Amino acid sequence: MPPSKDMIGRVLSTGSATVTADHVAGFAKALGDANPEYRTIAPPTYPIAFMTQAMSGGMETFLELGLNFMTLVHGEQEFEYVRPLEIGETLTLTGRIADVYEKQSGSGGTLDFVVLETEGKDAAEKPVFYSRNILISKRT
Amino acid sequence: MALSAKSVAVGTELPPLTKPAITRETLKEYGPAAGDPNPIHIDDEFAKNAGYPGVFAHGMLSMGYLGEFLHKAAGGVANVRKFRARFAKLTWPGDVVTCKGVVTAVRDEGGTRLVDCDIWSETQNGERKVVGTATLALAN
Repeated sequence: MPPSKDMIGRVLSTGSATVTADHVAGFAKALGDANPEYRTIAPPTYPIAFMTQAMSGGMETFLELGLNFMTLVHGEQEFEYVRPLEIGETLTLTGRIADVYEKQSGSGGTLDFVVLETEGKDAAEKPVFYSRNILISKRT
Repeated sequence: MALSAKSVAVGTELPPLTKPAITRETLKEYGPAAGDPNPIHIDDEFAKNAGYPGVFAHGMLSMGYLGEFLHKAAGGVANVRKFRARFAKLTWPGDVVTCKGVVTAVRDEGGTRLVDCDIWSETQNGERKVVGTATLALAN
């Protein structure tokens, strides 16, 4: 089933995870970013790795969304930060479907767009970051 | 060198950042570090079956490079407030990515100087691959 408008507003998944020194170091190394700040805080795009970890990977989520994993493309990504993520803290994430729409592709097929919004909150329930993610897949 | 709150103005260019050429090893390291299991970035056969000439870089790898570029321009990760990217064109193994940006607005909010920027990644032939916007807070 392709994604449908009925899915808009649905809470997709929630989860929590701890920002560990090893996970942050591995992520920073993969980017070749040797910023000494990463001993205590995480890189700007680290929430993408953290969200995957906290929500235990993508596959189930993509299936749940009705997206075709074979043709799945990350179209856009946006982050808004209240403050950096700190090593050692546990954050709770809530993801919801903000929008679903379709477009005709140049080759005549249908492209499905799903907009996911995720909020990360700290132990005091204070927001730390927001993420907005546009996923695109070709309908088969 | 980070941007200076005193001298920043519309049209000021952010100090560019050129990363080492992307290799297949870069992609093999980034995927697991970011929790991205998509074989399209590491398995040529899989990529060909999906209709591409071969493996290509994760959009989030280029966005990660832009993150490094931004925290350097802003003088710290905590000064990167908002960051958005659209994955317009694919980046391939062998490409050398340079991150660039220009200030589009300067405003003061509660004693903090905020600058909005257009940002992008481009490869060796000047082609823009990942394009977006960012808001940085500069210490006065």
